Amino acid sequence: MEDDPVPVPPDAYEKTEWAFTRLKYPSGVHASVFGQIGSWPTDYPKADRQFVQGVRRLTRIHTRSSEQVVDLDSDEVFNWPWLYAVEVGHWSLTDAECAKLREYLLRGGFFMCDDFHGSGEWNVFLESIKRVFPDRPIVEIDNQDPIFHVLYDLKDRVQVPGIQYWYTGRIWEKDGKTPHWRAIYDDEGRVIVAICFNQDNGDAWEWADHPRYPERYTSQAYRMGINYILYAMTH
Amino acid sequence: MFEFLFKYPGAVFQKGHLVLLAPWPLWTFALGVIAAGALLLWHVRRHRGLLTGARPTVIWLLETAMVALLLFLLWHPAISIATLRPQQNVVAVMVDDSRSMAIRDGSPTRSAQAATVLDHNLLAALGEKFQVRLYRFGKDPERIQKTAQLTAAEPASRIGDSLDQVLAESSTLPLGAVVLLSDGADNSGGIDLDTISQIRRRHIPVHTIGFGREKPEKDVEISDVVLPAHALADSRLSALVTFRQYGYAGQKALLGVRDGSKLLASREVQLKGDGAPQSEPLLFSAGMPGPKTLEVTIDPLPGEENRGNNSLRRLVNVESRKPRILYIEGEPRWEFKFIRRAAEDDRSLQLASMLRTTQNKIYRQGFTDPHELEDGFPNKPEELFAFDGLVIGSVEANYFTQTQQDLIRDFADRRGGGVLFLGGRFALADGGYQHSPLAELLPVTLPASTSTFHRDFAGQELTAQGRASLICRLLEDPERNAVRWTKMPQLANYNEAGEPKPGAVELLDVVPSGRRRMPLLVTENYGHGRTVVFATSGSWRWRMWQDHTDTTHATFWQQLMRYLVSDSPTQVTGSTARTVLSDETKVTLHATVKDKAFKPVPNAVVEAHIVGPDGTSSTVELTPQPLEEGAYTAGWSADKPGSYVSEIVAGRGKDEIGRDVVIFRREDGVAENFHTSQNRELLQKLANETGGRYYTASDAGRLADEISYSEAGITTRETKDLWDMPVVFLLALLLRGSEWILRRRWGVV
Repeated sequence: MEDDPVPVPPDAYEKTEWAFTRLKYPSGVHASVFGQIGSWPTDYPKADRQFVQGVRRLTRIHTRSSEQVVDLDSDEVFNWPWLYAVEVGHWSLTDAECAKLREYLLRGGFFMCDDFHGSGEWNVFLESIKRVFPDRPIVEIDNQDPIFHVLYDLKDRVQVPGIQYWYTGRIWEKDGKTPHWRAIYDDEGRVIVAICFNQDNGDAWEWADHPRYPERYTSQAYRMGINYILYAMTH
Repeated sequence: MFEFLFKYPGAVFQKGHLVLLAPWPLWTFALGVIAAGALLLWHVRRHRGLLTGARPTVIWLLETAMVALLLFLLWHPAISIATLRPQQNVVAVMVDDSRSMAIRDGSPTRSAQAATVLDHNLLAALGEKFQVRLYRFGKDPERIQKTAQLTAAEPASRIGDSLDQVLAESSTLPLGAVVLLSDGADNSGGIDLDTISQIRRRHIPVHTIGFGREKPEKDVEISDVVLPAHALADSRLSALVTFRQYGYAGQKALLGVRDGSKLLASREVQLKGDGAPQSEPLLFSAGMPGPKTLEVTIDPLPGEENRGNNSLRRLVNVESRKPRILYIEGEPRWEFKFIRRAAEDDRSLQLASMLRTTQNKIYRQGFTDPHELEDGFPNKPEELFAFDGLVIGSVEANYFTQTQQDLIRDFADRRGGGVLFLGGRFALADGGYQHSPLAELLPVTLPASTSTFHRDFAGQELTAQGRASLICRLLEDPERNAVRWTKMPQLANYNEAGEPKPGAVELLDVVPSGRRRMPLLVTENYGHGRTVVFATSGSWRWRMWQDHTDTTHATFWQQLMRYLVSDSPTQVTGSTARTVLSDETKVTLHATVKDKAFKPVPNAVVEAHIVGPDGTSSTVELTPQPLEEGAYTAGWSADKPGSYVSEIVAGRGKDEIGRDVVIFRREDGVAENFHTSQNRELLQKLANETGGRYYTASDAGRLADEISYSEAGITTRETKDLWDMPVVFLLALLLRGSEWILRRRWGVV
């Protein structure tokens, strides 16, 4: 759901190596909060476009200024080996979509999910991801893992709050007081699903230009996002 | 018939030369012919009577020819020829006594046929004129007294070596000629020019008598197997098997390759026409490291006469080394990730990569030493030459300094490494390579313009050369492989790579929608190494658009990278001229020794530690070659049949420079199973080159008379009259008769 509309940039449709690829997923029974639209477009497209500006400025990744939205109903996702989904505490993938996502990840795709909080949303997230990988465990990412060091050393991390922080002064939501950087690994020990739980990097990207949103959270969110992209492009 | 018409055998005319015995000079003969011709011309013109048109000319020509013949006889023509003096010369009779002479060819054995030829008339006829020395030979000649001593059991036949030895043994004797009875099946692959030259210098004619059928009725024979002497573990190898068959044209045969009892690969082939050489590749995996004796076979066909020539052995040293490849990439991109994944799946390769993630940061992966190249791309030969291959991604040419560009060129040229240039938006022409010294390295001539990189999906197609290439072999069967390529997903992008240079090999083309096809994968040998262009950074779609169990992307990249490095030499490289010694014991070990900058090391201590088939070991020192810096050789004798492993170690002072493993195998009695048909070509060549004649067993009876005409030994020169040859009288009769018949027909008699 678009919080702060932005105009379409002039090079929005340039053909580039990488684009911010947002997963459009069904929310199904968990869609009550978001009505018929679903939760997938949360922060869309400002977070995407604002984050991409950082990717352009801080790395040599060739990227366009606008995002790419894909779903799991077509094969288009296979053209975009890096995939981002937000509010996965409300998603509800069909079995066919789970199978497509599993195939995507086993072929070499990378999936980053973000902005879900507390045990309730975790259980909703699990309900779909366990159908993607019934046998692969979800584990905490070790501090030494290359994903935290591929460009920025992110050994010391903090919980990145959403904009509810403006109103509540709390950096957590629901009962999600402890941030987790979790992952599902493939057989070769490579992260294929990066799970940002109890944190909201999407908001940090979206409100990076707002004076009320603390810079330290934005900085970490940008660095974390860039590390995840570079990791996906090197491992 | 010839001898009836010309009075003497053909050998007289072949070896003698024409002389005119009359005391008058030759020009007087020519003058006489011209004068007679002129007189006859005057005569015919004056008395032509009813002769019209060309008829007087015909009559004049016939009469002039008749007068010329008579004048020629007046000048007393004769042949001057050297002949061996009776009982003063030696004739060496050499009989092939190898196992192939025991072949029956549907009649008595070849050896028995030779004995019959000798015993029934030849030895006796020769004995009337010469002293005869009888030899049998296999690998070496041996003097015998009678044909009953022939065994046809020698495991090999070496005609050249045996001739050499007989000539040396007879160097003090008046050797007038050599008679060689053989099927021509020489195991050393022929007779070398030195041996023939030596015989020619002594003017000794070698007369050959051939035995055996010139082609079998029903047989399949493997004549050669080409395999690399060394390979990386698990790499795909191609054995190029050459064979020919008789009697089975159009039928199917099963080609196989075995490591001991384990069948590595097999393939059904359709046999071509009788006698036509046929070459078929057979693909298999090299498997685990270690020396391997591989046996390539064709399963025997029903009714095959000789099954001993259906297999050949070859040695391959599957190396345990893991060649290192340095991959420099100028920007993060998906191609990088998936190339890395393919390399990581290959236990025989080490890929170290340097990726420019930002303007000032390089992300390094695959380095075991955390400090190696931490300052960036190498500036010194010993840093870059520690790698066997180099991959240059989307990196502008001017990213490299002049020193680094020189290093990259030397890497391929002097070090013998492989350099792969990938496509991309900063690569090839878009990276300015066409204006850099590195353009020389590329196997293509890049376009002069930029903007040659296109982020548009495009298909790819195998070229004819790509069909035969191991790099592009996704499936073993060539036809299925070609079909497989048509089903590959499209590339994500491509570069216009220009045109392949002369000598380059174009393996794949990119086929963009609505545009002409362009080179995609091109290889070329450069100096001691090789260079490759793969003009895309979009092959990652082969991975993302095929099932996760599909391995074609990894297979292609692993094969491409193995091609890049499998022939990159180490600092010490050993070799032998042949890995299989057929009935030979002598082997020469070679080694080249280079330092870390791959410059020759002239003062190294080089030793070969050889372990034989029975486990016994010995050490031999290799000595420097005077004319080739850094090259070392040693001769050694493999005393027992079987496989030998030789580890060559080079050092300087206390420091070891490097080591390499060379394997070879001595096989006795195997080669005799091959080329069992009569090699008439070799026997005829030997006879022709030395002034002798080739005979079949049926016309060998003439040999005793013709052998007398020789320049070797103790000779006397004879002059043989030609005027009374029957052919002269026949010619005179023909000329006069023709004129009479023509005059009768024209009514002017």
